[in-house]
Amino acid sequence: MIEESEVAGSSTLGDGDRVVLTFPARGDLVVLARLVASAISVRVGFDIEELEDLRLAVGELCLLALQGSDARHGDLRLEFTVSSASLDIAGTLVGAVPATARRSADGDEANELSEQILAALVDEHGREQEDGSVRAWLRKRRKGPLA
Amino acid sequence: MRPDGPAPSKAVKEQTKPERPAVADAERNAMITDNLGLAHQLARRFLHRGEPLEDLVQVASVALVKSVDRFDPSRGVDFAAFATRTIIGELKRHFRDKGWAVRASRRVQELYLELGHATSTLVQQLGRSPTVAELAEMTGSSEEAVLEAIEAGQGYRATSIDASENEDDPLSARMGERDARYDSVEERALLAPALAMLPHREQTILRMRFVQGLTQSEIAATIGVSQMHVSRLLAASLEELRRHIDSDTVE
Repeated sequence: MIEESEVAGSSTLGDGDRVVLTFPARGDLVVLARLVASAISVRVGFDIEELEDLRLAVGELCLLALQGSDARHGDLRLEFTVSSASLDIAGTLVGAVPATARRSADGDEANELSEQILAALVDEHGREQEDGSVRAWLRKRRKGPLA
Repeated sequence: MRPDGPAPSKAVKEQTKPERPAVADAERNAMITDNLGLAHQLARRFLHRGEPLEDLVQVASVALVKSVDRFDPSRGVDFAAFATRTIIGELKRHFRDKGWAVRASRRVQELYLELGHATSTLVQQLGRSPTVAELAEMTGSSEEAVLEAIEAGQGYRATSIDASENEDDPLSARMGERDARYDSVEERALLAPALAMLPHREQTILRMRFVQGLTQSEIAATIGVSQMHVSRLLAASLEELRRHIDSDTVE
């Protein structure tokens, strides 16, 4: 039979591989994003410190994507894209309505902190309006060549 | 200014300090007080790594004080952004200095082993398979940590910890063991194309051995060859499978 280590060792994600995760946009489900980020980090060869950075970062990314909208009826769509140079993650809120002015104002402070945290954890990050919703993204560069 | 770069030596700090605009004591204290909430918030982001919150808050608070002392308003950088980078850098350095990366992977392995014992105990106590929440409570971990330990500990096997159990086949007895009946989805997905490359007879023999669970003698009797011949065919087929899978993996 195949040895366990051989199976685990073959579980890599390569250049151009893409993983898409969509879940109801609720804070208590951000755990799903972190678990997927962990699993992908392992498979692109990040060390455990990079993995923990990414887990923190993807949580902030979700917060950024959730802010500015009434997410009660929307879904959060995360797209993980592997390249030879980096792992890119983009988060978009789908099917939500714009938040009230009060909530938007509250969200501004949270956004600022999230962006500051992202700046300390990943190589690049950004946030822009896309088709009426917020698209937040981050890029974590890989140290070595593609596995 | 990288948050995780080497900290300036004391001598360097003392030399450079007078060159920066002096911050009055009252202003300095106000900056620290105003941003203690930020230090707390950032410390909380690093919870669940085996360090108590109080220690993390202390590290973050010391880093905040450093931020205030190092901050140069003339550079036009927002203080909160500067402090966030410094505090996160110090928190990361704190974990690095404590050899956290090594301990973390050991912690996952230990939790995985602990889950085996906890599952066994809870099965006896509850008379049913425990939930992840119950396992988390018993091991003093978060549900997320339990899920990660299961995934990491099982080497990406897809066997569910919530799978129904009976007294003759407790989950704890299976944790960490290989069982052909429960070969993972990943393994089967990997095997299927390789299996299809084998001659029909070899595929049949492999299925009889590993899917139907027949012994080599039973297979020999069924297909009308000697047990030794079945043994050789199995060995050759497995070798062939390995070659296919290795070449797929390299590609």
